[in-house]
Amino acid sequence: MLTEKFVEFIHGPVIMSMGTRDERLRPAHTFVIGAIVNQDRETITCFVLQSRAERIMGNLENNGRIAMTVSHPSHESYQLKGRYMSSRPVDAKDVAIQEIYRTKLLACMLQYGYPEQLAQPLILGFRYQPAMGITFCVEEIFLQTPGPEAGKKIA
Amino acid sequence: MGVLPDEIKPAMEGVIPSHGVTCSLDGTPNVTVISQVYYVDADHVALSFQFFNKTTRNVRENPYAVAWVTNPDTFETWDLELEYDHSETSGPVFEAMDMRIEAIASMTGMTGIFKLKAADIYRVKSAVKNTDERLPLAGIDK
Amino acid sequence: MDIREQIAENERIIEQLNRELAKKSAEVRIIQQISSEINSTLHLTRILQLILDSMDRVLGFQHCMILLKEESEEKLRVFASRGYDQEGVGAEVKFGEGVIGVVAKRKKMMRLGNIGSSMNYLRAVRARMEEAGQLASARVPVNLPGLPRAQSQLAIPLLVKDRFIGVLAVESPKPNAFDELDEIPLNILANQVAIAIDNARMYQMEEHRRKELDEANTKLVQLNESLEHKVKERTAQLEQAHAELSAAFKRVEEQAAELSVFNRTLEQRVAEQLAELERVGRLKRFFSPQLAQLIVAGGTEDPLKTHRREVTVVFLDLRGFTAFAETSEPEEVMGVLSEYHAEMGKLILAHEGTLERFTGDGMMIFFNDPVPVPNPPERAIRMALEMRERVAELIVKWRKRGYGLDLGVGIAQGYATIGAIGFEGRWDYGAIGTVTNLAARLCGEAKPNQILVPQRLLWTMDELVEAESVGDLSLKGFLKPVPTFNVVRLRG
Repeated sequence: MLTEKFVEFIHGPVIMSMGTRDERLRPAHTFVIGAIVNQDRETITCFVLQSRAERIMGNLENNGRIAMTVSHPSHESYQLKGRYMSSRPVDAKDVAIQEIYRTKLLACMLQYGYPEQLAQPLILGFRYQPAMGITFCVEEIFLQTPGPEAGKKIA
Repeated sequence: MGVLPDEIKPAMEGVIPSHGVTCSLDGTPNVTVISQVYYVDADHVALSFQFFNKTTRNVRENPYAVAWVTNPDTFETWDLELEYDHSETSGPVFEAMDMRIEAIASMTGMTGIFKLKAADIYRVKSAVKNTDERLPLAGIDK
Repeated sequence: MDIREQIAENERIIEQLNRELAKKSAEVRIIQQISSEINSTLHLTRILQLILDSMDRVLGFQHCMILLKEESEEKLRVFASRGYDQEGVGAEVKFGEGVIGVVAKRKKMMRLGNIGSSMNYLRAVRARMEEAGQLASARVPVNLPGLPRAQSQLAIPLLVKDRFIGVLAVESPKPNAFDELDEIPLNILANQVAIAIDNARMYQMEEHRRKELDEANTKLVQLNESLEHKVKERTAQLEQAHAELSAAFKRVEEQAAELSVFNRTLEQRVAEQLAELERVGRLKRFFSPQLAQLIVAGGTEDPLKTHRREVTVVFLDLRGFTAFAETSEPEEVMGVLSEYHAEMGKLILAHEGTLERFTGDGMMIFFNDPVPVPNPPERAIRMALEMRERVAELIVKWRKRGYGLDLGVGIAQGYATIGAIGFEGRWDYGAIGTVTNLAARLCGEAKPNQILVPQRLLWTMDELVEAESVGDLSLKGFLKPVPTFNVVRLRG
């Protein structure tokens, strides 16, 4: 499902957010600090603050519907839609990945003209632990880059 | 009622992008990056409607939405529970948003190409500040 | 939260509010100070710079500018700036361009804190559209005055009674540098600024107008002076003209007097001439026109005035006329007479005789009056001879018709009293004296074709005239008989 390009993209300096909904179709949001594409190339594990994960667990267990936006500072963006698989606490490897991710993201943001006094506190000041890894299976991919083709289904 | 406090206003300037989630009637959530959530009054916010997309389509069938905004001064984040109310193509809210878009469009050579179609007005049902998501940063100031 | 926490929270809130209040009070005082500084001067450029300096010093807006609307054009020009490397004064912004241009167009305040990220976003969209071939032409973004990478901008329209006159703008390189609280003092300031600028402009206009008025006044004074001068000149001219006119008038009066005198003399002369003409008219009855003119022209004495002169008188008539007249038709009679008169008249005129009267066939002619002639008796005789000859021709013609007529002539010389005879309305020129009687009696005695003259008459004309004696005739009115001759012909 996920091409090499996508894998690299998701592992890159991207801002990510996850959306879920409850049984009454009321949506909920949580931000994602780092993600890894699993070797099956079908599933992604997103790292979410534990407190937030607890908030949306009801939704995940109720219907399992997940949407995730992956947005590069250049505004290249994709939306992934899929189904909740499982969740687990993060391990040391995950934390390392998260830290690399944060650094890469900050550097890229500065590169793309984000003012330092904004980017630095924003990225580095975000609590990223304790975190949970939420795994979901990707079913659809849409282009979300702002422009004439936004919303187009890619996969 | 006054759901939105004054301290949230800096988060409504579009300095740091916001995120929003909507849900279609068939139960599929949709999450997007919002460039700016506009403060209308203590009970309302507005999102710019430039083109018809999943978000705008979703709220017109299922009005429930959430927005996640960041204060660029304090970097505190807020979760807003929203309900799509109506759309405006004129009036002070529309005009204020339109002026901003016109100014930026003129500076990027997009005059007439990038235009505000409407201002989608949402009622704010709740606004919750997240107090435990900041790391203390030594020497980091506004 | 428990009670203590609540109290602490409340205290914190109160403290914050107090701080904000203090800040606002300070700002209001500052604004008042700035306002009074502004209103104490009316010089526009000084005002603008004063405002911007105060905004930096007092309110902390380090980069600010004031743009004013160009008259009757939809654009603004930077009139004053502070906090920029290059002055930027004079730079133009068209309505609708950038934050300032949009504020000018909409005449509403605008505050942006995310200029950089917004522009990045739009540029990304633009790039996608260009890729997709949706942007037909590359629209070049405008070059606007201000910080090259401003993240925050706050622009306020300057309005005077809804009339848009310009924009007050502040900038910052930091994002979200301005908030709602900044809008308040800037709004108040903008209001004051607009009024001050308007006042200063009006003052400038007033100054300008006053200068124009002064100039106009000076010109007026100059004009007045030259006008006075011209008036003086003109008055002098007029006085002179008046003097000339008076002189001319006097001359006219004199001329009128002369004219009236002339008129009177003219009337007189006309009357005189009329009298003359009358006299000529009268005289023409008696004399030939030439003679009449001559008399009137003063060549002779007034003939109608009674006088004595030696004249030669000729009487003539036709023998057998009476019998002819009684036995002939009136037309025949008149026809003969008119023929006879015409021929005789010619000869009288030719010899310059004076026809005194004619009665039917009889005529009396005399010579030497009114015009003296040389040798009157000679003339008389010559005339009588020509008359006899002419009548002889006529007689031949008349005889053929059966008329028996003949001419008889009597001539005498002597003094006569001559003048006007008659009465008012019927004056005649007449001669009275022995001489006329003698001539008449001699004519009466003359046989057909005889010209009888007294011997005395011939005394000086012996060589001229051949005459035969007819004896001494006893004539009525004459005591002694008169020796008489008949003129036969001219000698030689």
